[in-house]
Amino acid sequence: MKKLIRLELRKIFSKRLTQLALVVVLLLSAFLAFSTYQNKYASDGAGNEGTGRTAVEIDKAVAARYSGILTDEKVQQMISEIVPKSGENGLNAIYLYRNTIQSAVSARFSDINGNWNGLRVSDVFGDETVKIGYVDGWLSTSQNMTKVLVIFSFFIIMMIAPVFCGEYSGVDNIILSSKYGRTKCAAAKVIAGIMAALITTAIVLAVNLLMAFVFYGSEGLDCSILFAQLTYIEGSIPFNLTCGTLLVYQSVLAITGAIGVTGITLLFSAACKNQMIALVASVAVYALPLLLPVTETSALFRLIVLLPIYHAQFISLMSVEQMSGILLYAIWAVPAALILIAAGSIFSRRVFARHQVS
Amino acid sequence: MELSAVNLTKRYGSKTAVNRLNATLTNGVYGLLGANGAGKTTFMRLLCTVQRPTSGKIDLDGKSIWKLGERYRDVLGYLPQHFGYYPDFTALDFLLYVAALKGLDDKKAKNVSNELLDEVGLSGERRRKIKTFSGGMKQRLGIAQAMLNDPYILILDEPTAGLDPKERVRFRNLISAFSKDRIVILSTHIVSDIEFIAEKIMIMKSGEIIHFGRPHEITSRINGCVWECSVPTSRVEQYTVSLNISNLRNEENGRTVLRVIADQPPVAGAVKVQPNLEDLFLYYFKGEDGQ
Repeated sequence: MKKLIRLELRKIFSKRLTQLALVVVLLLSAFLAFSTYQNKYASDGAGNEGTGRTAVEIDKAVAARYSGILTDEKVQQMISEIVPKSGENGLNAIYLYRNTIQSAVSARFSDINGNWNGLRVSDVFGDETVKIGYVDGWLSTSQNMTKVLVIFSFFIIMMIAPVFCGEYSGVDNIILSSKYGRTKCAAAKVIAGIMAALITTAIVLAVNLLMAFVFYGSEGLDCSILFAQLTYIEGSIPFNLTCGTLLVYQSVLAITGAIGVTGITLLFSAACKNQMIALVASVAVYALPLLLPVTETSALFRLIVLLPIYHAQFISLMSVEQMSGILLYAIWAVPAALILIAAGSIFSRRVFARHQVS
Repeated sequence: MELSAVNLTKRYGSKTAVNRLNATLTNGVYGLLGANGAGKTTFMRLLCTVQRPTSGKIDLDGKSIWKLGERYRDVLGYLPQHFGYYPDFTALDFLLYVAALKGLDDKKAKNVSNELLDEVGLSGERRRKIKTFSGGMKQRLGIAQAMLNDPYILILDEPTAGLDPKERVRFRNLISAFSKDRIVILSTHIVSDIEFIAEKIMIMKSGEIIHFGRPHEITSRINGCVWECSVPTSRVEQYTVSLNISNLRNEENGRTVLRVIADQPPVAGAVKVQPNLEDLFLYYFKGEDGQ
């Protein structure tokens, strides 16, 4: 069985298209990470400003001055020290950007003139204890990973689609007339498909996180995602998670998404006679939830959001409900993925075992 | 062992590919002859369990091959008429993959694969990717994979297609040496291959076996129906339209010797000759899209 799995894996990874597509996904990751890093801008308001590496260093230095638990005193200190006032550059203060900490505090605690808006920390964050620090690097990485993982899902479909139906162009004669062709071979194909999805997911995650370490260092992993700059507020996750927890969730959801989409694709791979049909059908079913007219407030959304495409585009799933502490509704993605892969495995094995050559 | 088909029928919609076929096969080499669409490939696929019959059954020693499942396929080797391959696999990789499917352990798989590559003349190409192989090389690789598990039942659909004469001779010798105490069934459009190798012939027409026996028994059915006659070479074209000619041979005196299949003497002076399998084939399949 081990040998069959190894050979099935080899078949999957020896395809030029698979190799090329994986390289494209990794290059896209590198491009997004590098361009995001290069486009960073920061100014400390004291004459130091820059882009790229300089911007990251300025952001980190500013964050270091206020790092720790967010208090009303710190808010006042930040407003007086780093929040720009109206009139500078002829713009309202709300539109001015200096650095990530300034943006975060301006968005929540200042009015359009750059003065305190009267809100206290408890008014904005309730009873939550919000630890602040340099979170921009990790949040940028998380945003980029969301884009990469959605595209990566299509790579998985492309990679898995030929697992069964790739044999229907002639090799099925040989496989199905061999001793283990209808039994162990089908099981080996399923296991190899899952392993291939997991291996490539691990590679993509590792490359993205490694680049984040290289560009931004390890600061901020224990800081809350709630005190992020303005650009992360819209559509962000409304729970007090650390960047580390966020990335763990995103990684777990990347894995569950990969498993789920593998289940769907295996099913179509066994049922369709042709790779292209299997690929198109898998993509259609995978992307269908995004097209459904279901609002996020609907009860049905709580089920739909557990489908694999929402694991990759993880913000919606992460925003449904905080069950307790760091335990979010998103954890239901794990059984959802297991159900999909179990259904895909059982169905595809049965269909392949009963397949008749034509 | 005895492999028997009883009332075996396979229909595709309204088309009947195999029609209430009955045959009992014991040790020996069986040649399967028939025109295109006669049902040969379907019959072989049914024997190999890659297709299920619409009705009827196939038993090995009285037990359904479908119920035997892995135990049946363990003693089966099959070369399909058209088979796919993995372009990025080398010849050795492909054989090792099929060996794994057949349940051979690693050591045996390597040994047998190398031996078979040697026997089919691909030992120098074992590390070459299959996508670089010619049609004949792929066919030889197909023959090798069918024999990997030293099968008791070997089914070969058009095994000599794409092989050059030297390779065909090598194949015949390989099968002759291999076939002792086994059931070997092969179909080919090269009738002379069957003549050389097969001990028994099955002639299929419209999904049924119309003749089954030793070559001389089968050909004896058309005794008196094969003639040779000498005609002027200039009139050969005219004869080819009106007569069922199995062969012709030009002679130096401006005449041509025709070998004609006919119930009556085709021309004056024609003499009866001993029929062969090719004559038999033409006798039954004249006018069909025969192979």
